[in-house]
Amino acid sequence: MNWKFSTVVELLDRAREAGLSLPAYLLARESFYSGKGEDELRAELARRIRVTKTALDRGIREPQRSFSSMTDGGAAKLAHGEAWPVEDELFRRALAYSLSINEVNACGGKVIAFPTAGSCGVAPGLLWAYRDARDPSLGPDSPRFQDAFVVASAVGMLIALRATLAGSAGGCQAECGAAAAMAAAGLAFLLGEEPEGCFDAAALSLKNCLGLACDPVAGLVEVPCAKRNAFMAANALTAVCLRRAGISSVIPFDEVVGAMKAIGDAMPAAIRESAEGGLAATPTGMSFRAKIQ
Amino acid sequence: MSERTITLLDIFGPVMIGPSSSHTAGVARIAFMARKIFPYPLDRAKVSFHGSLAKTYKGHGSDKAAVAGLLGILPEDERLGYALELAEREGLSYEIVAVADGPERYHPNTAVIELWSGDKSIRIRGASIGGGEIRLQSVGGFEANLDGSLDAILVLHKDEIGVIAIVSHILAASRFNIASVASHRKDKGDEALLVVEVDGVVPSSIVAQIRDLPSVREVVYVPSIRA
Repeated sequence: MNWKFSTVVELLDRAREAGLSLPAYLLARESFYSGKGEDELRAELARRIRVTKTALDRGIREPQRSFSSMTDGGAAKLAHGEAWPVEDELFRRALAYSLSINEVNACGGKVIAFPTAGSCGVAPGLLWAYRDARDPSLGPDSPRFQDAFVVASAVGMLIALRATLAGSAGGCQAECGAAAAMAAAGLAFLLGEEPEGCFDAAALSLKNCLGLACDPVAGLVEVPCAKRNAFMAANALTAVCLRRAGISSVIPFDEVVGAMKAIGDAMPAAIRESAEGGLAATPTGMSFRAKIQ
Repeated sequence: MSERTITLLDIFGPVMIGPSSSHTAGVARIAFMARKIFPYPLDRAKVSFHGSLAKTYKGHGSDKAAVAGLLGILPEDERLGYALELAEREGLSYEIVAVADGPERYHPNTAVIELWSGDKSIRIRGASIGGGEIRLQSVGGFEANLDGSLDAILVLHKDEIGVIAIVSHILAASRFNIASVASHRKDKGDEALLVVEVDGVVPSSIVAQIRDLPSVREVVYVPSIRA
C-alpha cells in the first residue's frame, strides 16, 4: 500500500487504489504507522471526541474566567442569552459550542489541539452542534461521527504538509483558518458529501480566511483567538451551505493551500504570533500586556 | 533523522491542558522527555525560557507545564494545572528563569532544562515548534534531534570503531527495525552519543545487552510520547 500523499488529488487516488473509502484509508494508514489495530484507533478517536464534549459542556455550564480577565464567560451568555436574532438551532449551538471549548482552553482546561489549542473549538463545536440540533443518533462511539473527525483531520494533514499549522509561521489563517476548513469538511461529510465535496467546502472556507493576522493580545491565547473560534464556526457553516446549494470553489483546495503558504511567507513577523503588532499593539492590548507582566 | 510522517492523531491531538499547544503542551513534553533521559532522583532543576516563552510564560502556564513534565506528568493530565503545588509537596527544588536575550540561533520557543542529581548533571535544550510538537536539539552537550514520536535508545559510549554496527546487530538479531541512527561526538576518540530510534518497544533485556558492551558508558531508553 502507498501511504504517501501531499495533495487532495494524490490522497483521493491512494484511497481509490486501495479500494477504500477516504476515512477507511486514513485509518488503515494510521494503523500502519502506529502499529495499532483499527478497533484500538477507533476507541482512541472516541476518547478524544469525549474530551471535546466534556470541554464544551463545561464552558457552557460554568462561565470561564481567565487569569487575564479577557475571557469572561462568553459561551455561557451565548448559550443562555434571550436576545437571539437568528432562528436556527444549529447556528446558535455552533457559535456557543465553538466559543465554549476555546474558553475552556484559555482557562487551562482539558482540550484537544485540533489542529492547535488556539483553534480547538471550531471543528468539534460545529460537529457537536450538528449532532445536537439535527442528528442525535451520532456520538463518540458512532463510526460516522468518528469519520467526520477523520475527514476534518485529513484537511489539517494536507495543510500541514504543504503549508503550516503554526501561527508563528503562517498567521491565524494557519490556525483558525485551517480549523474552519477542517470543520467545513467534517460537516459536509456528515451531510453526505463525497470526499470531493468535503474538500470543496474546505476550499470555500479556507479562501475566506486567507491573510488573517495572528496578533494575540499580551501573547495569550484569548484575544482574538477565543471569539474567533465562534466566527470560524460560522465561516465553516457558510461554506457548507454554499456547497449544499451546488456552489463550488473556483480555486481548488490544493491551490488554495498553495496560496495560503505564499501569503503566510509574505506576512510580516509582527502579525505572526509575536504579540508585537495588530490588536496586540493597540492601546488596550498594551494595557493588558502591562497588567499581566 | 527521517522526515516525520504526519498522522491523523497528530492533527486530532494532543489531548492537552490549555491554553497553548506550543507554550503549554510542548513545554510539558520537553521537560517530560528530559526527565526520561535523566531518570535519577533530582536534587534540583532549572528551567530557562527563551524567546516568546520568556515573554509570555506566566500567562500560558509554561512554568506549571515545565514543572509538570519534571514530575512525570504529561500535557493531558489535569494535575498539570496544580503542578507547582505538587512540586512543593514532593519537595522538588526548582528555579524558573526568563532569559531576555538568549543566543539568536535558538528556536523562537526554546526551553533549556538543567537537572542535578548527586555528582551527575545534564543540560537539555528543547524547541516547541507548534501544535505541541517538539524537538530536543541538544542533550548533555551533544547535538540531537529527538521528537518523541518513536521510542529511542540513547547510548553514551567511547568514540571507538564498531559501536554503531554492534548496536545495530543486537537490534536486528531481535527483529527490531531501526527508523533512524544519529551519532554525535564531542571530539575524535572522546565520548560520543548514539541516538537510535526504533519501531516498537524494545524490551529491557535487549537494552541491557547494549549496556554491557565494553565501550558503552551509559544507556537510557526514552519511550515515545505519542499517545
